Amino acid sequence: MGAAIAFPQTFPTFGNWSQLLLNLSIDTIVAVGMMILLIAGVFDLSVGSVVAFAGGLAAYGMIQLGWPVAVAIGMALLAAGLIGAANGYLIAYQGVNPMIQTLAMMGIVRGGALLVSGSGVQNLPYWFTAISQSRLLGVQMPVWYMLLTVSVFAFLTHRTVFFRRYYYIGGNERAADLSGIRVKQMKLWGFVLTSLLAGIAGLLLASRLGTALPTAGRGLELRVITAVILGGASLSGGHGKVMGALLGAVFMGLVSNVMVLARVSGYWQEIILGLILITAVWTDMALQKRLR
Amino acid sequence: MIKTCLILLIALLASCELPSRNTTDSFTYRATQATTALITNEEYVMVTTAVTMPMYVNHDQATFRRWGKERNVRVSILGPADWDVPAQINTIEEVIGTRPSGLLINGTDPAIGPVIDKAVAAGIPTVVYDSDIPNSRRDAFLGTDWYEIGRMQGEEMARLLGGKGKVAYMGILGLTNMETGFRGLLDVLKKYPGIEIVGKFDDKANVEEAARITADLLSAHPDLAGLCGFDSNSGPGMALAVKEARRAGTVKITTVDWEPEHLQLVRESVIQMLAGQKRELFTWYGAQFLYDRVHQTNRLSASDAQAGITNIPTSVNTGLLRITKVNVNEFINRPTQ
Repeated sequence: MGAAIAFPQTFPTFGNWSQLLLNLSIDTIVAVGMMILLIAGVFDLSVGSVVAFAGGLAAYGMIQLGWPVAVAIGMALLAAGLIGAANGYLIAYQGVNPMIQTLAMMGIVRGGALLVSGSGVQNLPYWFTAISQSRLLGVQMPVWYMLLTVSVFAFLTHRTVFFRRYYYIGGNERAADLSGIRVKQMKLWGFVLTSLLAGIAGLLLASRLGTALPTAGRGLELRVITAVILGGASLSGGHGKVMGALLGAVFMGLVSNVMVLARVSGYWQEIILGLILITAVWTDMALQKRLR
Repeated sequence: MIKTCLILLIALLASCELPSRNTTDSFTYRATQATTALITNEEYVMVTTAVTMPMYVNHDQATFRRWGKERNVRVSILGPADWDVPAQINTIEEVIGTRPSGLLINGTDPAIGPVIDKAVAAGIPTVVYDSDIPNSRRDAFLGTDWYEIGRMQGEEMARLLGGKGKVAYMGILGLTNMETGFRGLLDVLKKYPGIEIVGKFDDKANVEEAARITADLLSAHPDLAGLCGFDSNSGPGMALAVKEARRAGTVKITTVDWEPEHLQLVRESVIQMLAGQKRELFTWYGAQFLYDRVHQTNRLSASDAQAGITNIPTSVNTGLLRITKVNVNEFINRPTQ
């Protein structure tokens, strides 16, 4: 409301909002996966690197190896899924700490992204770029993919037994295990799913830019975790809704958008986002205490 | 029900708009039409990435602010705090909607080409600085040829080593401008069969990382003769490790940028040469080009749009500074502006 009053010519316009949603679409798709992991009480720091690697691998395949677009997409998603499976297996079955495992994977996969895309792969095929650069009802496609992803996973986490189990695991892992839920297997699938969504986000980003950047997704993991926590997830697990991931990302997008419209420098943007996160977490803790 | 859904789906698909295959629309004409109108309350916006990087703050942003003051126009500096090209693109997209008088964009990566085209199509005069985005419709480019930065370092290193010895180089791997610089360096060094390249390293624009890599290199290759750096933190990092190993002066160092710490290291003979960019020039004149474009300062025809021309230079190489111990004091003692 404040922004609409302060910037009536620029903020409440179709162009600004479709741009705002487009800018947060990639982060939100990754945030959906991160929300599911955080509900289960774990997280994945390698998602930003997977975004760069998936886009880079598909681009490398199409340009250097002559893969058709569909094959390149399939291979990139397969690679993303395997990265998630490696994370999930080592964390769930071998007991490696999620932070250590995904931090190490972040470095490995970033190195892989540099190997496949070098200084960036340009001139991607038309039909690949059309995936993100096309428009539906005047809005660029990544926004629709984001809305579709959020809707599908909101439905799945609300209505299906499989995804409801993540709440039980995050709430009390031991109790979930004793009640017959295959906790390790569920965690493995959680990491695979998150990595796949990061792979999809990477393909959409490369398609949108028309270039696969090895530096893409740097710092994305922290933005996504921030959005998910702002959206109601708890680092201790058991809480959160997929719609919350969208709302958290929209909130961050709004803050960023308003700061650009107000010409606030990048220095302040980081400070303001940090303060917002601390305030949100503190408010959440205070509310939890009062409820108890 | 199914019929209704099918009709809706077909209607939706019919409204789907694919991107244009041919990108040579009449952008220039529309842009010029928009900019010839009288502009009041002017605002010029600089959009970069890594907006907090000291080199950008001290050279580019300080000059841009000084220019704004001198011209009595509003200037804004926007962009992500970290090196994040997609975030820079998002910022440009959002700024386009606010219709500034002119956009001064740091050419960080060819991926920003389409959004530059979008700004031009929206009628916003757009100048690219630092590295060119040749695949875009930018009105002008001012900056440095990174291939030349690599060549200058290669030639100096070959001279310092007398054409023989082990050399390593580092920078931020994956950045288009640095990879171009690496290519320039290698193209020179390969002419010297006595020079052996022992590695290309990613120092992640981090002093500690550059120092760690250098220390490891000195252990692995005690006869390492030369180091070339390509980002602002490569030089101080390499110098730190070489000093700690008590090899200052024997291991020759060439690198980029000329922040006070770089200059001091040249004075101490730890770094032998700096390939410096004239950042103040490309920021100042880039902003001035925008101003001249907006104000049609120099009219070259009855209608530049109809003539298919612009009234500013389209490409300016601001050249390089070669800083060695011989001239370093001139840069250390330069007056503050």
